[in-house]
Amino acid sequence: MTNALAIDTTSEFLSLALLKDDRPVASHYAQCGVKATQWVFREIDTLLGGAGLAPEALDALLVAVGPGSFTGTRIGMAVAQTFAQVLERPVIGIDTLSLLAAQTEPPAPASRDARFHALLHCARDEVYYAPFAWHEGLPERLDEIALTTFDRLAAIVGEAPVTLRRFDPGSAMGEAVVSRLRQLPLRYPFPDGLLLLELGLAAFRARPGGPFPPPRPIYLKSEAFRKWRP
Amino acid sequence: MAAMNANSLAVPPVTLGLAIDTTFDDTSVAILRGPRAVLANFTLSQVADHAEFGGVVPERASRRHLEAIQPLLRAATAQAGVRFRELDYVAVSHMPGLLGSILVGLTVAKSLAYLLRKPLIGINHIEAHPYANVLEHGELPFPVLHLVAAGGHTLLIHQTDHFAWTIAGRSVDDAAGECVDKVAKMFGHAMPGGPAVDRLAMEHAPGPYEFPRPLLADPGLDFSFSGLKTAMLYFLRDHKAEAEAHPGPVLAAFFQAVCDVLVAKTLRGARRLGVRAVTVSGGLAASRKLRERFQAACAEAGLTLFYPPPALCTDNAAMVACLAAHRFAAGRFDTLELDGQANLSA
Repeated sequence: MTNALAIDTTSEFLSLALLKDDRPVASHYAQCGVKATQWVFREIDTLLGGAGLAPEALDALLVAVGPGSFTGTRIGMAVAQTFAQVLERPVIGIDTLSLLAAQTEPPAPASRDARFHALLHCARDEVYYAPFAWHEGLPERLDEIALTTFDRLAAIVGEAPVTLRRFDPGSAMGEAVVSRLRQLPLRYPFPDGLLLLELGLAAFRARPGGPFPPPRPIYLKSEAFRKWRP
Repeated sequence: MAAMNANSLAVPPVTLGLAIDTTFDDTSVAILRGPRAVLANFTLSQVADHAEFGGVVPERASRRHLEAIQPLLRAATAQAGVRFRELDYVAVSHMPGLLGSILVGLTVAKSLAYLLRKPLIGINHIEAHPYANVLEHGELPFPVLHLVAAGGHTLLIHQTDHFAWTIAGRSVDDAAGECVDKVAKMFGHAMPGGPAVDRLAMEHAPGPYEFPRPLLADPGLDFSFSGLKTAMLYFLRDHKAEAEAHPGPVLAAFFQAVCDVLVAKTLRGARRLGVRAVTVSGGLAASRKLRERFQAACAEAGLTLFYPPPALCTDNAAMVACLAAHRFAAGRFDTLELDGQANLSA
């Protein structure tokens, strides 16, 4: 029976979820802006306390490793890595595009091999993308996550369907391109901590007893960038 | 003249504290027993990481802090022979500095405090610098005037007790260290250029070159070093051959101007505030030339001078832990909602 805490601070939402005895028992999803480091411990404490769990009862930490907000990603990773070190538990990183892919409705069995793309519009005209296919009930990333621009997106995606998330939902950037993409139906409204639990737990169980590779933040852009260009 | 007070805040000698400093481009973790016993003090410099840019790139600094902090925690606890559970408090510099960098250390410190159910103590990095002197010399007499010449700050801090201080003077533009680094860069020295300038100032007599002593004639205690930097820029424009032929004497003369201002303003502040003890701290305090000048001037003025060893002049978590030990003894803690802050505030 597994207890696990999922932490996602890669966007302006603070998203947490708690697994107790193999069941999701609590979650938190709220817009926090730049206050993730101020609020995260209060919310973790609320989740753990509500479930009657001490931090020491956790078996694993699951953390979103980006791409996304650079500072936000580091906050979640700093929490998860410190919990992991002090509690001597594994920490498992899940990328944010896999979370977006997991939001989509699984296709009918006949088209399970069909590729689709998860897209994340982060800033300006820049879009993170990666190809996925369904495998044993979970989306499997088929290639490294990459960064492109809206004007190159159509050529990359081709006819494959997509799922798209915008950091700024009000943004119309790239709308001419996006309107021509075939968007997949979603089974789940937000890429939240409960989805992170689902993917993280699958990764945790795929390696009974570990070891788990140390999670690395996914930035993709140079740290000295002004404006990224492909 | 005010009498010097014995320090009345007793830090229990058995307390164990861990401190983190990630305010700028050094990742540092220290473990302290009581107020002064440094069991571990590890600092990972990022100088080489930023060399190609000629200055610190904030995003790169934040990324390196996240990479370095967990291994440093492991190394510090191993060297100190301390388990996390044995700590009495967790301290962290939460201002001033690069906000993205601060947030890495702050989040790690909060995670530790939460898990260990121990007090979190947020420290003003600038307030911590003079405590490098407490590590070296023991408790300081109050009142005391601190010259803190660290990174982007040059400050005169008048301290009347632990946690009771006011800024008596500050840099209104470039800090002294910034000015020295930028001038060193004009001469082709790698960042940080302070050590190279100090070495040349020790090896060469100042040449017959005159550089301004900004604000020295001004009765106030504020500093300004931007004009001195510009003066060097014009000197290089007008006397390029001279500067190339005699870089040592030119830089020695320049650094003499920096030292003249720092020493004179500090002693003026001491006289005006009626204090008899002076400390110097921060990266520029590692300068041997500046130390010589302060030793001579304070001896002549009858002031007691406190100077940290060079290893404790630059950013380090031991000084943060030392101040935190006093905060712990006073029961002054922070909540887990403590935020990071880029700017300095009292």
